[in-house]
Amino acid sequence: MLKILLGLIRPDAGRGTILGCDITRSGAELRRQVGYMPQSAAAVPGLRGVEFAALSGELYGMPRRDAQRRAHEVLNYVGLGELRYRQLEEYSTGNLQRLKLAAALIHDPRLLLLDEPTNGLDPSGRLAMLELLEDLIAETGKSVILCTHLLGDAERLCHQLVVLDRGQVVRSGPMRNVRSALPGRFVLDWQGDGSRFVAQLEQAGATCSNERGTGRLVASVPATWNTTTFFQLARQGGVVLTHLAADEESLERLFFRITELESDVQPAPLAGDAHGH
Amino acid sequence: MAIDRGRYHGWQGELGSPWRGTLALVRVSLVQLFRRKLYWGVLAACLVQFVFFFLAIYAVTQTQLPPQVQQRVLEVFGFASSAGPAAASAAASHENGYTLFIERQSLVVMILLAFSGSLLVGSDFRNEALPFYLSRRIDRKHYVAGKVLSVATVVSLLTTLPALILFVEFGLFTGSIDYWLENWRIPLAVLVYGSVLCLVLGVLLVTVSAYLVRSAPIAIVWSSLFLLLRRLAVYLHGETGEDHWRLLDPWFDIHEVGRMLFFPPTSHDERHIARLAAALLVVVCGACLVALSRRVRAVEVVV
Repeated sequence: MLKILLGLIRPDAGRGTILGCDITRSGAELRRQVGYMPQSAAAVPGLRGVEFAALSGELYGMPRRDAQRRAHEVLNYVGLGELRYRQLEEYSTGNLQRLKLAAALIHDPRLLLLDEPTNGLDPSGRLAMLELLEDLIAETGKSVILCTHLLGDAERLCHQLVVLDRGQVVRSGPMRNVRSALPGRFVLDWQGDGSRFVAQLEQAGATCSNERGTGRLVASVPATWNTTTFFQLARQGGVVLTHLAADEESLERLFFRITELESDVQPAPLAGDAHGH
Repeated sequence: MAIDRGRYHGWQGELGSPWRGTLALVRVSLVQLFRRKLYWGVLAACLVQFVFFFLAIYAVTQTQLPPQVQQRVLEVFGFASSAGPAAASAAASHENGYTLFIERQSLVVMILLAFSGSLLVGSDFRNEALPFYLSRRIDRKHYVAGKVLSVATVVSLLTTLPALILFVEFGLFTGSIDYWLENWRIPLAVLVYGSVLCLVLGVLLVTVSAYLVRSAPIAIVWSSLFLLLRRLAVYLHGETGEDHWRLLDPWFDIHEVGRMLFFPPTSHDERHIARLAAALLVVVCGACLVALSRRVRAVEVVV
């Protein structure tokens, strides 16, 4: 998809513009304003870090001297200042990802397209990359299109979400709207024997499951459901609600729900009175 | 993970033509080549022929060799024919000397290129670097032009440039500018010959390397292209006596076209063969460029 947005691949159907440039017609002009960080290794053997970044600048059309000066700046910015004279073969995966980000930033683009920026990184490397991207977005105000299968990354960095499933857009919009468009989910906890309460919830149209880790009840309820109904059913079931909150589910779970795969990861069915706390 | 970072600074400059990227590609390709010590060794071996020619010119112009020895040296290095006089200013003989030098370099050029293709072009496919290149402002034509120019630069470093140096040397050692004035066509002809050689070898090598990617297959196919086809051409030509079979040999075609300015074909048959060789090279290079445009894409290539 990113290559279609860059004007590198012609779409089978449809049209689009980025920063006023038609993606099917003005590829070179479009790429002038966009920085792309590819997913692939994309290393040029035998080059040093600073030469790679400067090459990227020259490929964008920057004068050589500007490209070299700018390469030092962006390498410092992404934290590779001390490694700039090392050959690319000596770079770790994390440093190579940073280097590719520097190469994408070299001509100071208005828009960044990042293809799996945390791919192959260990947890600390991933965290560092996410912090760098957060700082970049906050400091420069640049727009970023992030393509990732790690939905936690998207959750942390993005305001707008487009969910693609088998090449089709299944949800899009601001993160909050995408979530609220789904039926409500609530996390419940109570004191007392909850088996009657759970049965009543399910009778009333809620779907119940146990939350991973905490063992609390997660109830998916119809859109017309009112939160006071929980209290009424709890009173009828002889339990006292001690916790009732809208479930802020992770993007992973949201993704599985909207692509109808959630059943694959659902925990075991409710076990009777396991909720007596 | 705490990483010491600087602050972000914007850039206000103007972006120029994407052809700047082509020049950067050429420079980077040469850097890649010359950072390998092995290439310096191969390059030095390739220039042995140049040293011999250089010393031969020095010997016949600066030392008091007996006339027979001088004549023999000139003949061996192509600057005099065994049938003609030993006069150093005989233009035709001298042109033969420069073409002989370029032809003798062909074999070493072929060997050097067989090892260069994988590094210059194959590595871009192995490391999936094409999305990196093509997502910048350059497109396929800039990329292909950059790679062909890189190969052409290597070829010219071994053929055209040394031949021109030999021409300058000959003139310098004769002690007057008459040699250069009388033989003004020679540098022009060397440049044309070198251009044909560079262009054809560049396009062929980039295409072979783009499809085969790894060193061993490239070296095998590249050698077969120039050695086996030459053998086949010689065999078929010997068996049938038909001149057209010689066109199977890429070196023959390149030399026929490249030598046109040195020795314009005089007979009808020579002209016919030269034209066919030129047409064949144009068709082969055209086919290679079409194949390259299909191969060089920004999508990841699964090898």
